[in-house]
Amino acid sequence: MTKPSSGLSLRRVLIAVIAGIVLLCIACIGLLAVIGAYSNRSGPATEAPPVFDPQSATLTLAYSPEKAELIQELVNAFNQSKQRTSDRRTMSVQLLEMPPDQMVQAALNDEPGFQALSPDASLWLDLLDLQWAEEHRRDAEELAPRRIADSARYAVSPIVIAAWPEVAQSLAGTDQRIGWADLQARATSDPDFRWSHASTSYASGMLATLAEFYAGAGKTRGLTAADVTAQDTLDTVQALERSVSFYGDNEAVAMQLMSEKGRNFLDALVVQEALVVQHNLAGLDPLVAIYPREGTLWEDHPLALLDDPQVTDNQRRTFQALADFLRQPEQQALILARGFRPADLNIPIDGPDSPLTAANGVDAREPQTTLQMPGPSVVQVVQNVWVYTKRPSNVYLVVDTSGSMRGAKMENVRTALLSFIAQIQGAEDRLGMVEFSGYVTNIIPLQTITPEYRQTLRSEITALDARGDTALLDAVRAAYVRLQQENDSGRINAIVAMTDGLENASATSLRQLTNEIEQQNRTGVRVILFTIAYGEDADLDTLRTLAEASGGQLRTGDPETIRELYRLLSQYF
Amino acid sequence: MKRSRTVFIAIVGIAIIIVGVALALRATGREKLLVVIPKGPIQVRILTALPVEPWVRQAAERFNQENHRLEGERIQVEIIATDGLTALGKYDRNEFGALDADTDPAQLSPEQQQALTRFPTAWIPDSRYLPELANTAYKERLGRDVFLTDGEYRARPVALSLSVWGIYQSRADVLDQTFGDINWQVVHDAATNKGGWPALGGDPDWGFFKLVVPDPRKNVGGLSAMIAAAGEYYDRPSISTADITNPAFQQWLGELLAATTDLSGASAYTAEDFALFGYSVGDGGLLLESDLLNNMQGIKNRWGEALSIRYPSYVTWFDFPMTIWIGPETSALQKNAALEFERYLLSADTQRQAISYGLRPVSAEISVTDSADSPFVQWADQGVAAIVPRTSAMRSPDRDVLQTLLRWFELNVAS
Repeated sequence: MTKPSSGLSLRRVLIAVIAGIVLLCIACIGLLAVIGAYSNRSGPATEAPPVFDPQSATLTLAYSPEKAELIQELVNAFNQSKQRTSDRRTMSVQLLEMPPDQMVQAALNDEPGFQALSPDASLWLDLLDLQWAEEHRRDAEELAPRRIADSARYAVSPIVIAAWPEVAQSLAGTDQRIGWADLQARATSDPDFRWSHASTSYASGMLATLAEFYAGAGKTRGLTAADVTAQDTLDTVQALERSVSFYGDNEAVAMQLMSEKGRNFLDALVVQEALVVQHNLAGLDPLVAIYPREGTLWEDHPLALLDDPQVTDNQRRTFQALADFLRQPEQQALILARGFRPADLNIPIDGPDSPLTAANGVDAREPQTTLQMPGPSVVQVVQNVWVYTKRPSNVYLVVDTSGSMRGAKMENVRTALLSFIAQIQGAEDRLGMVEFSGYVTNIIPLQTITPEYRQTLRSEITALDARGDTALLDAVRAAYVRLQQENDSGRINAIVAMTDGLENASATSLRQLTNEIEQQNRTGVRVILFTIAYGEDADLDTLRTLAEASGGQLRTGDPETIRELYRLLSQYF
Repeated sequence: MKRSRTVFIAIVGIAIIIVGVALALRATGREKLLVVIPKGPIQVRILTALPVEPWVRQAAERFNQENHRLEGERIQVEIIATDGLTALGKYDRNEFGALDADTDPAQLSPEQQQALTRFPTAWIPDSRYLPELANTAYKERLGRDVFLTDGEYRARPVALSLSVWGIYQSRADVLDQTFGDINWQVVHDAATNKGGWPALGGDPDWGFFKLVVPDPRKNVGGLSAMIAAAGEYYDRPSISTADITNPAFQQWLGELLAATTDLSGASAYTAEDFALFGYSVGDGGLLLESDLLNNMQGIKNRWGEALSIRYPSYVTWFDFPMTIWIGPETSALQKNAALEFERYLLSADTQRQAISYGLRPVSAEISVTDSADSPFVQWADQGVAAIVPRTSAMRSPDRDVLQTLLRWFELNVAS
C-alpha cells in the first residue's frame, strides 16, 4: 500500500508544481499587463518630464504655409528614401505648419516643439537671433549668442505684384516700368481698384508694408524708426492701407481666392513669383508678375536648425541629410517645376524645361534691384505701427448656440472667440456679435474695441449657453443689415458666421438672403462673409452659397482646429 | 497533500519575489536607458569654418570610407559647420561644457559623461587669431591654454584664402570708367551717391549701388571686411581700438555700410546669397576669394554675367588652422585620431582637391594652376590671379578691436 501511496503523492506534488507554475505565469502576465496598461495610461497625464531619446533621428520641421504643397512633397520623398544614421536609425522628418512670426515666438521658448524651421524668408531668422541675444546675452561685451545653428537654402522666389495684364498695362508709366509708387497712386485715386497683401506676419505683407513706409517717408533706402513713426509717414501709409480690400492669413490663400473668383475680386495682389507661375500653369485666366521698379524682396525659404541642447546628433544628421537631399538634382528639378527658383545655380531657370517664362507671366532675369531691408529693430517698429495704420474693420461674429453645440464644442468655440478678440488689435477696429439658436437671441452692436468693451465681450462669450434650433440665415441677415446701415465704406466690413448644424428655423430663405447680399454688395457697402462649418454635421451647401454670394470664403473646422481657424481669420482684419 | 501545498505556496512566493525584483529593475532600468553611452568607432567631431566646410566634409567622407584605424579602432570623423565667431562665442560661454579645472572626469555622472560625447575634438576656424582669443577666455577659467601654439597638437593651417572684390562685370565696367581703380573709397563714393547708378553712368534699372559684405555677427568675413576698410582708410595694416572709435572713421564706415541692402535676410553664406539673388541684392562686395570662385559658374548661369575679381591693397588672409582641444573632455585616442585626419587634410591629394573649391593649398609646392579645370585657370580672364598681386596683409585684430567693431556694427548698422 505504501508504494501506490508514494506514487500518488509524487504525482500530486508534480501536478501541484505544474499548476503552481501555470498559475504563476498567468498571474505574472496579468500583473505585468495591468502595470503596463497603468504606466501607459498614466504616462502622458503625469508631470513626468518627456522622455528624451538621445538617439532620436526624427526631426520636426516647422514650415510656413505659402509653400505647403512643395514642402510636403519634398519631405515625403525624403522620408521614403529611408536614409539611416551611422547607428542605423531611420531618419525621418515630421512637418508642422505655422506662420513665420509664430515660429519666432515658439523658437524663443526652451521647448519650441520643433528642431528645424523653414519660414518664408530669412528676415525671421534674424529677428529670432536678435530677440534671443536680447534675452540670453549676459553682458554687452559678450559675443551675442545665436538661436540658429545652421541654415541652408533649397528654393527662392522674389516677391512680385500679381496683376491681370490689362491692370498691369494701366499701371505702367511712359517707360513701361511699374513701381510701388504707381500701385499706391492708383490705389488711392481709384475707389474701384482692389488690391491686397498679407499681414506683416508674412514676408510678402512685410515687404508691401515696408514699401508703403518708404513711400510715406519719401525715401528709397535708410528707413529708420523715426521715419516710420513720423506723422506724415503714418498719414500716407494709412491712406494707402484704406485701399486694401482685405488682409489674408497668407498669400497662398489670397492667391487661391484670386484664381477662383477672378477679376471682380482683386486687381492686384502682393505674392511670391512662384504663385503666379503656379496660377498660370493651371491654365487659368493669366496673371503677370510685376517686379517693382524701386526694388523688391526675396522669399528665400531658409531651412534652419535650432542651436538647442535638446537637438540630438542624429537629428542634426537628419537635418544635414535633408538639406543635401533638397539640393539633389531631382528635388531641385521638382522645385523649378513648381515655379520656385532652385538654389542649385547649375540648373538653368531660363532653359526649355523651366516654367519661368514670359508665357507664364514672369521674367527669369528680374528683379534688377531690391528694396533695402532695414534692421530688425526697425522691422519690429513697422510691425507694431502697421496695426494702427491698416484699414480698420467692422466685424460681426455670428455665433451658433443651438442645442447641438453643447459640451466640448461650445467650450472650444468660447476659447476660439476669446482668442479672436484678443488678436484684433487695430485702434479703430469695431466688433459686434450676433448670438443665435432657434432665433436671434442676442445682438451686441458694433463698438470700437476699448479695454472695457473687450472685457464685456469676454463676459458675453464666457456666458454663451447652448440650446434650441438653428436660425443661421436670420442671424446672418441681422448682422448684414446692420453693416449696410452703418454705410461705412472706409472700413473692411465682414461677418464671421459659424454653425455646426442645419438651418431649420429662419424666417428668411437662402435665396432671399443671397439675392439681398449680391444686390446690396453692388449698390451699398461691400460686406464679405467668412462662414465656418463646425464639425461634420454643418450645412456646407448653405454656408458655401452664403460665402460665395459675398465674395468670401467657407472654412471647415472641428473642436481641435476651431481656435486656430478663428486666429487665422482674425488676420483678415 | 500537506507537502504539495507547501511546495505550491513556496513556488508562488518565489515567483512573487522574482516579479517584484524584475519590476524594480525595470523601473530603474528606464532611467538608465536615457544615458547609454554609444559604443563604436573613435568619434572625432570637428567644428569647421564655413568657407572650408564643403572641402573638409568631402575629405571626411572619403576618410571615413577608407576605414582609417588607430590602435585597432576605426576612426569616424564628423564635420560640424560653424562660423568662427559663432564657435568662439560658444567657447566663451562654455556652451560645449568644458570641465572646471578641479573636476575629475572619472567622477562624472553617466549623464555628464553622455554630454561629453558631444564635445568637439578639434576646431578649424577661419583664422588663427580665433583660437588665440578662445585661449584668453580659458586662461582665466582654467589657468591654461586649451589650444596649443606649439608641439604636436599645435594649430596647423590646412588651406588659404583671402578677401577680394567681386563685382558684376557690367557694374565694374561703369565704375572703371567713372572712377578708375576700384577700392574702398571708390565704393564709398558710389554707395553714397544720391543719384544712384544713373548718376554714376549706369543703367537706371540698377537702382542704387548695393554693397555686399558678410554680416559680421554670422561670418568672420564681415569683420575682416571692416578691418580691411579701416586699413585702407588709415593706410596701414594695423588697427587699434582708438582707430575704430574715431568719429570721422565711424561716419565714413557707416555711410559705406548703409549701402548694404539686406543684412536682415543675409545668411552666413554671403557669397551664396550673392550668387542666388544676383545683382538684385548686390552690385559688388568684398568676399572670400574661394567663396566667389565656388559660385562663379553659378552666377554666370543664373544672371548671365560673371564677376570681375579685383585684389584690394589691404587684404586679410584666412589660414583655416586645425587646432585640437587640449583637455580631459576628449580622450587621447580622440586627439590622436584628429591628428590622423589633420595629416589626411595636409596630404598632397587632399590639398590638390582644395583647389577645386577655390582654396589655395598650404603647400607652396602645389600650384593652383596645375590643372586646366582649376578655377584659378578657368576665371583668370575675370581677374583671378594665381599669384596674389603685391598687397599689404592686415594684422590680426585683438579682442578689444573685434568687440568694439562688433558693438559699433550692432548699434549702428544692424539694429
